[in-house]
Amino acid sequence: MPDDKIGPWSIGSPFGQQYWDTGWFGLLFTLIFMTFIIVNILRARSSKELFIRRIPGLNAIDEAVGRATEMGKPILMVPGLSDPVNAIAVQAINICAYVTRTAAKFSNPILMCAYSASMYTLAQEVIRDVYQQEGVPERFDPDSVRFISDRQFAFAAGVSGIIHREQTAATFFLGEFYAESLIFAETANSIGAIQVASSTEATQTPFFIAACDYVLIGDEFYAASAYLTREPVLVGSLVGQDWSKLFAITCILCGAVSQSIFSCNHAKKVQEVIAASGGDKAKITEGIANVKKEEKSAFAFSKLFRPGDVPEDIKIDRPVNPDAPATPAEEEGGTK
Amino acid sequence: MDPKRLSFWSVDPTSSNLLMFVIGTILVGFLIVFAISKAPTQARRPITWLLTFISGGVFVLFQYWPQPINFDKKTHLPANGVESVGVLLKDATSVFGTVSQVLAAFMLGLGIFSILRIHGSKIAKQQKDWVFSVVLLTAMFSMVLFGFWDFHIRTAIRTTDFDNPSNWGNVNMMRDFLFEGLLQQMDAAMFAIIAFFILSAAYRAFRARSVEATILLGTALLVIISLMGAVAGAWDGQVDAIAGTGSSKDLIRNLRVTEIASWIRNTFQTPAITGIKFGIGLGTLSMALRIWLGLERGGK
Repeated sequence: MPDDKIGPWSIGSPFGQQYWDTGWFGLLFTLIFMTFIIVNILRARSSKELFIRRIPGLNAIDEAVGRATEMGKPILMVPGLSDPVNAIAVQAINICAYVTRTAAKFSNPILMCAYSASMYTLAQEVIRDVYQQEGVPERFDPDSVRFISDRQFAFAAGVSGIIHREQTAATFFLGEFYAESLIFAETANSIGAIQVASSTEATQTPFFIAACDYVLIGDEFYAASAYLTREPVLVGSLVGQDWSKLFAITCILCGAVSQSIFSCNHAKKVQEVIAASGGDKAKITEGIANVKKEEKSAFAFSKLFRPGDVPEDIKIDRPVNPDAPATPAEEEGGTK
Repeated sequence: MDPKRLSFWSVDPTSSNLLMFVIGTILVGFLIVFAISKAPTQARRPITWLLTFISGGVFVLFQYWPQPINFDKKTHLPANGVESVGVLLKDATSVFGTVSQVLAAFMLGLGIFSILRIHGSKIAKQQKDWVFSVVLLTAMFSMVLFGFWDFHIRTAIRTTDFDNPSNWGNVNMMRDFLFEGLLQQMDAAMFAIIAFFILSAAYRAFRARSVEATILLGTALLVIISLMGAVAGAWDGQVDAIAGTGSSKDLIRNLRVTEIASWIRNTFQTPAITGIKFGIGLGTLSMALRIWLGLERGGK
C-alpha cells in the first residue's frame, strides 16, 4: 500500500509524478491556453472582425519582392535549421509560400535552401503547389529548392556562396537559426540585399537586428501567416495567443502580490520565533525549521508556480518483475 | 509477459521473433504508403491528418496521463491499470520519435538526389564555376566511400585497438584526414568568421544615429566595461573610495559599474528575453495545436 505521507497527489490516487505537489498547474495552464486558442478560432470563423496591429517587418515582404523584381535578381529564402521538421519549420515554410506567391505573380526567380532532407522534401512540394495555385506551374524550377547540407557550417558556407554567386536582391531568413545567423545576414548585407529575418532563438535575434533591414521579433514570426492571409483560423489563434498573454500577465501580478504577502508573513513568524527563543541559537534554528515546514504544507498561490520534486524515499508496493536481474550478494558488491 | 518481449513496443534483439516483427512492420509501412498514394486527392488530407492526430495524441496523452512515481520497470511491474497505461505511453513516445527519424532517413536519399541533379547538370553543361561542383561531388563520394570502408574495417576486425592511430591502415588514415583533417577544420574556420562579422555588425548597430541607437550604444558600453577586469576594478574602486563609510555609502556603491551592468542584465535583459521566449512558446503551442487538429492549411 502507498505510504500515508504521500497524500492525495500520489499513485494511490489518479495522480502521477508529473502532478506531484502543485505540478498539475503547468498542465492546467496549457489546457487553458489551448481553450483560448480554440475558442477564438471558433469566434473568428463566425465572421467576427478581429483586429491585428501593423507589423512593419511583414509589410516589408512586398517591398523586398518588388525590389527584386525591379532589379531582375532572385529572392533567397532560408526556412531555418529545423531537423526534423517541426512547428517552427512549418511556419517558416508558410511565410516562404507567401513570398513565393508574390514572386510568382511577377515571374521573379526564387531560391530556397534547405538544411535537412525532410525540410527539402516539404519545401519542394509546397513551392510546387504555390506555382500551381497561381496558374503558372511551368514557372516552377525544381532546382530553385535545394538541399545544401545538414552540417551547420557547411550549410552556412553553401548559402553564403549562393548569396555571392547569384547576387540575390532580397533575402528571407525565417525559422530556427543558431551561430550561422550572422554569417548569412552579414554576407547578404555585403552585397546590398534587402533582408527580412526572424529567429525563434532569442540569442540570435540581436544579431539579426544588428545586420538586417526588418526583423520579426518573438511571436511576430507566428503572427505572420495570420497577418498576411487574414484567414479566420489563423487570426483566431493569434487572438487566442493574446488572451493567453493577458491571462499570464494577470497570474504574474497575482503571484507577485501573493509572494510579497507570503514573504511578509514569513518574516513576522521568524521574528516571533527569535523573540520567543530568548537568544538560544538551537531553539531559533529549530523554530525556523518548523516555520518552513508549516509553510511548505500550507497552500499559497506562489507555490502553484513551484512544483515540488518527488521525494526519492517514497516506497510504493509493487509486484516484483519476474525477469528482474538477480541482485548480487552484499559481499559481491550488492546492497541489502 | 513473454520473456523475449521487452514492452508492448519492443522485443529483445536476440529474439527469434525479431525478424518477423521487422518484416511485418515494413509490410504495414509499405501498405500505408501505397494506400495513401492510391487514395483520391481529397482523401489524402484526412488520412494524413488522422495519422498526425494519432501520433500527436500519444504525446499529449503522455503529458497528461499519470506517470508512476519512483518506478523502475527492470525490477518491478506496474501496481495497477493506471500505472500500466502510463508505462505503455512512456514506451510509445520513444517509438513514435524513432519512426520520424526513420522517415527522415528515407528523405535523405531525396536530398542527395537534389545535390546530384543540380551539380551534375552544372558539370554536364559546363556552366560557370562548374569545377567547384566537381570538387563538391568528389568530396561527397570520397567521404561516403572512406567513411563506410573505415566503419567496415573497424567492425570486422574487433581484436585491433583502433583508438590507437599506430594501428591504422591507409583507409583509416584517409577517413581521418577527410573528417578530422579537412571537414572539422573547415567547420572551425567558418565558425571563426563570426568573430569578424560580429565586429562589423556591431559597428553599424552602435552608430548613434537616433535616440534609441544612442541609448543602445551607452548601455552596451557599460556592459562591455563591466566585463573588462582592469577598467571595471578601477571604476568600482573609485566609487568605493567616494562612498567611504558614511551613512549613504550603500546608495553610492550602486554606481559601481559591475552593479549597473548587473542591474541592466537582471532588470531589462532577462525579463525582455523571457517575454520574447514566452511569446514564441505560445506561438509554437498555437501552431502545433492547429497542425494536430488539422486546422493548418500550410502554403495557402
